[in-house]
Amino acid sequence: MQHQTDEIDDASGGPAPQTPVLRVAGVSKAYGATIALNSVTLEVLSGEVHALLGENGAGKSTFVKVLSGIVRQGGGALSLDGTPYEPRSLMDARRSGVSTAFQELSLLPNLTVAANLTLPHPLKGGLGLASRSRNEARAVELLHQFDAADISPRSIVSRLSLAQKQRIEIIRAISHRPRLLVLDEPTAALAEPEWLFRIVEQLAASGMATLYISHRLSEVRRLCNKGTILRNGDSIGPIAIAETSDNEIFRMMVGKRSEERRQVASGSSVVRDVAIEVSGLTGESIHDVGFSLHKGEVVGVAALEGQGQRELFRILGGVARPLRGTISLEGSLVNLKSPGQALAAGAGIAFVPEERKSEGIFLTQSTCANVTLPLLNRLSRFGLVSSRREYAVAADQIQRVQLAERLLRLRISALSGGNQQKALIMRVLLSGARSLILFDPTRGVDVGTKQTIYEVIHRFVQDGGSVLIYSTELPELVKLSHRCLVLYRGRVAGELSGENLSEEGLVALATGHNIEEIRSRETA
Amino acid sequence: MSAFVSRKVSDQTADRSIRLWLGNGALVVSILYVLLFAFYAAAQGDVFGLQPMNDLANDTLPLALAAAGGTVVMLTGGFDLSVAGVISLVNVCIATQIGDGPLNALWGLLLAILIGLAVGMVNGALVAFGKLQSIASTLATMIVCSGLAIVVLDAPGGNVSDFIADNATDPILGVFPAAGAIALVIVLLWLVVRSTAFGVAIYAVGADETAASLAGVPVLRTKFLAYSLGGICYGLAGFMLSAVTATGSPSAGTPFLLLMFAAIAIGGTSFAGGYGGPIGSMVGAALLVLLQKALFSAGVSSFYTVIFQGAIMILAVLVGGISASIAAGRSR
Repeated sequence: MQHQTDEIDDASGGPAPQTPVLRVAGVSKAYGATIALNSVTLEVLSGEVHALLGENGAGKSTFVKVLSGIVRQGGGALSLDGTPYEPRSLMDARRSGVSTAFQELSLLPNLTVAANLTLPHPLKGGLGLASRSRNEARAVELLHQFDAADISPRSIVSRLSLAQKQRIEIIRAISHRPRLLVLDEPTAALAEPEWLFRIVEQLAASGMATLYISHRLSEVRRLCNKGTILRNGDSIGPIAIAETSDNEIFRMMVGKRSEERRQVASGSSVVRDVAIEVSGLTGESIHDVGFSLHKGEVVGVAALEGQGQRELFRILGGVARPLRGTISLEGSLVNLKSPGQALAAGAGIAFVPEERKSEGIFLTQSTCANVTLPLLNRLSRFGLVSSRREYAVAADQIQRVQLAERLLRLRISALSGGNQQKALIMRVLLSGARSLILFDPTRGVDVGTKQTIYEVIHRFVQDGGSVLIYSTELPELVKLSHRCLVLYRGRVAGELSGENLSEEGLVALATGHNIEEIRSRETA
Repeated sequence: MSAFVSRKVSDQTADRSIRLWLGNGALVVSILYVLLFAFYAAAQGDVFGLQPMNDLANDTLPLALAAAGGTVVMLTGGFDLSVAGVISLVNVCIATQIGDGPLNALWGLLLAILIGLAVGMVNGALVAFGKLQSIASTLATMIVCSGLAIVVLDAPGGNVSDFIADNATDPILGVFPAAGAIALVIVLLWLVVRSTAFGVAIYAVGADETAASLAGVPVLRTKFLAYSLGGICYGLAGFMLSAVTATGSPSAGTPFLLLMFAAIAIGGTSFAGGYGGPIGSMVGAALLVLLQKALFSAGVSSFYTVIFQGAIMILAVLVGGISASIAAGRSR
């Protein structure tokens, strides 16, 4: 469903139709069965800074990859200044006039600033060889031109601060004099975003088109007149940013789904005994995180990418160690040094990590061997594992996760992603742990598997277990959790429960907006 | 105020140069070399004449060449085990197939380079385009080459032509060791390669493949070329080994495998890729060879040599690690 707002008059008001620098018409992209982009349509005019907004998983990063020539679109058409644009590689895109400052930064830590700025073709001196002095001169020129003269061209990039690296990444993208500049979350690490705004405005005035991808609405309002919203791979827009309220934007990002009734919270009984209590937990990316998880309760964690949720879950799973803070299980302090200890501590914590393939399963082993792993002590006699007993235990449990019995004998690598995930969940159930720490358990699995996983979680908490779940899909959290914590920049930005637990509320908190402020503005 | 600022900046640059100086693995190992050489001179006596210098250079060069090639691959983040097979294969080919005289010697040199290049290209294709693990692919090519070497010459023997054995190992015009000259040429060539887009790409790929490709670096081509270049170096190492030993053996390359990695580690190149360089590895190789000679002249039984080589590797890695962490620590 494509929700199209009314055409907006061009800010210039000129009657002559201008050929847009970038025109995207119905672009789609699927990875196997997963549809990343369904249909994206947008236009960016010369001199325009166009905002692209969307939740995690809405397709922003796939769209950036298509624009930068890293992946090719499945369908639809792109054109640049009126001519078809189908970049086959990053360099191809750059030659056509599109350059990208990547969110994950594409700088080489072992090279100097000057070498990074001139990659992949260093400037040559008299002998046809790269000339350090010419490269450094070029770097100095760029750094001065773009107001970053405090960075030495001779510095090794690994020694720079994150903010300095981000500035170099942006300067490198700009230095190719693109027709279209793609900025992917460019201010994530910048302490002083005004620096970027000045440069972008200056270049826009000279006719460059910019696609500005950010989740910070205040910045988008500061810089962009028009924007497009991505939701589940579909584009909505163009919208006039100034005339659209924050709440309307959140609603567009979230869509109709938010009206779905929540099922879990009302239905089950929350027993008030505390299963896990965390306080003052501080690590490399989290600060002073505290909360409690009760028996019979599902607590959701919502956050945009990289707000510390990964570290929090890994600490609770015993994979990472906190710098400070305490974790107590049923009232007694524990020190989780390994996943094994987490399983053994108190009533047990079982962790389902995010990287299924690299952290969760043993690809070369059978499904059966994978799921019975935590039981090996119980299954073995005199240190030897009886494969018959192993199979019997697994077969007994298998209907709980609706996995076909014949799959037990197969190598787990032969299973679909959804079935692998079911097997992994079955394994944590078999482990007997009473608390589950699930990091994005439904990522990349099909709808049926999702439903199974929901049911398993349901039954688990009804039996008195407790679940902490992070998901990139907000509707899932709204549906499953009794309460939902929101992490922003490594801190708990807020907690929503009951009637207040809505996708709009989660998006607002996750993008750093004060929820009280939004409510009061709404009532005013 | 402005005077204060500029003073501060110059302090920083001084500090930075100290850090670069400490973090440079080649420099650390060079200092170790000078110290060991002093010990060697004391134990041996006459070491500064042309002939002893020439002998030392001849003994050092094969390992130094191999280590230089292995380093290029290591910088991209790969391991190249094929060195042992290539050296053996080249050695038996030179000892059995190449006649006397300058033209034949030239053909032998070309053959050595071609064998190395061919194996390197296979390695590069398997790792870059076939996406196979470097250790597994190069282990396979090493085994194939060792097998081929046995097919060519099944037991030590053969004869390296006098022209090669003499001209590649005697001082040039009676004044400068040929092996030393070749080493200098390799160093100069590396300085040239390092100053090309390919040279920068080697370091970029080794540090972070994803970032490198996002920065527009042709990752696959860079890897392929790095293995090919490494192969050429092993071929040259095999040629020089044949000239020095003047005989053939199907297992001539075997000792080079572990010593090459030791030389690379001693020279300060990171086994994770992206940091270091062939020059450090060449000095590292020289250090290992000098250690052998110094221990021999000090009367230590050759049985102990290997133990000392391992010990000095630990020492060099420790010293390199400590000075690198001091260098990094200053900046934090």
